[in-house]
Amino acid sequence: MMISRRDFLKNTSAALAAAGAIHPLLSWAADDSVVVPGKDGMIVRSLRFVDLEMPPEYANSFITPVPHFFVRNHMHEPSTLDAADWRLTIGGEVEKPLTLSLADLARLEAHTVTSTLECAGNGRAFQNPHVPGVQWQRGAVGTGRFTGPHLRDVLRRAGVKPAGKHVMFHGLDEVPGKVPPFIRSIPLEKATDADTLIALQMNGAALTKHHGFPARALVPGWVGAASCKWLSEIKVLDKEFAGNFMNPGYRMPNQPIKPGEAVKPEDTHPVTALGVKSIIASPTDGASLKSRSIHIQGAAWAGEADIAHVEISTDGGATWQAAQLGKDQAHYAWRLWSYTWKAPRSGDYTIRSRATDSQGHTQPATAVWNPSGYLYNAIDQVKIHVAA
Amino acid sequence: MLQRSRFALAALGLIVLATTCVPLLRAQSPELPPGPLQAKVTTACTECHEARIILQQRLGKPAWTKEVDKMIKWGAVVDPSDRDGFIEYLSANFPIDRPPYEAGKTSAQKKKK
Repeated sequence: MMISRRDFLKNTSAALAAAGAIHPLLSWAADDSVVVPGKDGMIVRSLRFVDLEMPPEYANSFITPVPHFFVRNHMHEPSTLDAADWRLTIGGEVEKPLTLSLADLARLEAHTVTSTLECAGNGRAFQNPHVPGVQWQRGAVGTGRFTGPHLRDVLRRAGVKPAGKHVMFHGLDEVPGKVPPFIRSIPLEKATDADTLIALQMNGAALTKHHGFPARALVPGWVGAASCKWLSEIKVLDKEFAGNFMNPGYRMPNQPIKPGEAVKPEDTHPVTALGVKSIIASPTDGASLKSRSIHIQGAAWAGEADIAHVEISTDGGATWQAAQLGKDQAHYAWRLWSYTWKAPRSGDYTIRSRATDSQGHTQPATAVWNPSGYLYNAIDQVKIHVAA
Repeated sequence: MLQRSRFALAALGLIVLATTCVPLLRAQSPELPPGPLQAKVTTACTECHEARIILQQRLGKPAWTKEVDKMIKWGAVVDPSDRDGFIEYLSANFPIDRPPYEAGKTSAQKKKK
């Protein structure tokens, strides 16, 4: 028996309607459907472009495993990346422009720098009033072990001319529409620092695509945006690169401004080093605990400075107790910290953490508001319920 | 008979698609809320980025105006007669006082058996 196309469509529509009716029974399919290869348990801020946030409870490991390392992309990741064909050009204010292959870079002396990377916009969601942008909360941060040649070794081979003052990075990310390309620059002084790398590896393995394979800049202690991924071009400039992601992007007002107040470009400066900050990894915000003995732990970092101490308050900030700092440390890396607290009775509590760095800077109660929500570093807090 | 079996198989395939892939796709790319401009905003904005970027914003009308104008400058195709409508739609649906957007999480990649 033949079935007409019309009948087929009619029957199919009925079948689809029935399928729709039973869809709630299969909603589990939606719960675990956001699969990003190589990433596990990450908060999805966006899939296109890929912007993934580490849940704060993962800030309990000195080295953040790659599956838990945040991803911040401004553009589409390169659609094709071939290690054999990839080249890095070095030009601009140099005596001898270079074109290097991955093998060329791998032949240079490799160095390893353990560094915390944090997105400049981490904590933007807590800015009051709200500002536009990816609404990161606590976890656009992680600590990795990056390996590769010193950027200064490559610059030395090219020979920076006296006019060269800034070093520009351009990656292979793909630009949609008329969006300006993601190009930024750093001052020559930071570019030639002994810890600034062209990183080829992260945590002992080749960079993954999300983290800039085959090579990325690693500008330790500075906002993540300085550490350009999928690096393809380095250009030495006589002045700061003039482009959207240097100005007006990634700039802070020189003086605090009121929300809505206009700020002139000449009254702003680029965001560079990270500030002092701590986050509470556990207990997690909203947790209900069955024991009054509570192990509080987290991580604290301070950009180019070191962490001097971390304090914990469980009484609304009236008193602060010193947390114990973890043994693992590296100049640009976060320090893990912990504090064991016995809640006096059952009830609701707010736990706060406050870090102070080696230069005497302490996390403020309220972060400085700015139009793009950069460098949010207010005292962290979680609210918990103790049921015991 | 064979023809009918093929159709039945095709229909079954569509049911499987509808029950698994459609929710899966929805989870991958959430939609903007209904409204007169929903289709136009979806077309203009999601050409470059997904709706999640919009769903998580909580902004006043002046900030939405700046965002819309920036995105038009960056290549979003918006008919000039729709610009104010875009701003109204976004301001009405994603105002400062709307509760925060609840973001999902990635799950581990299923292992091949």
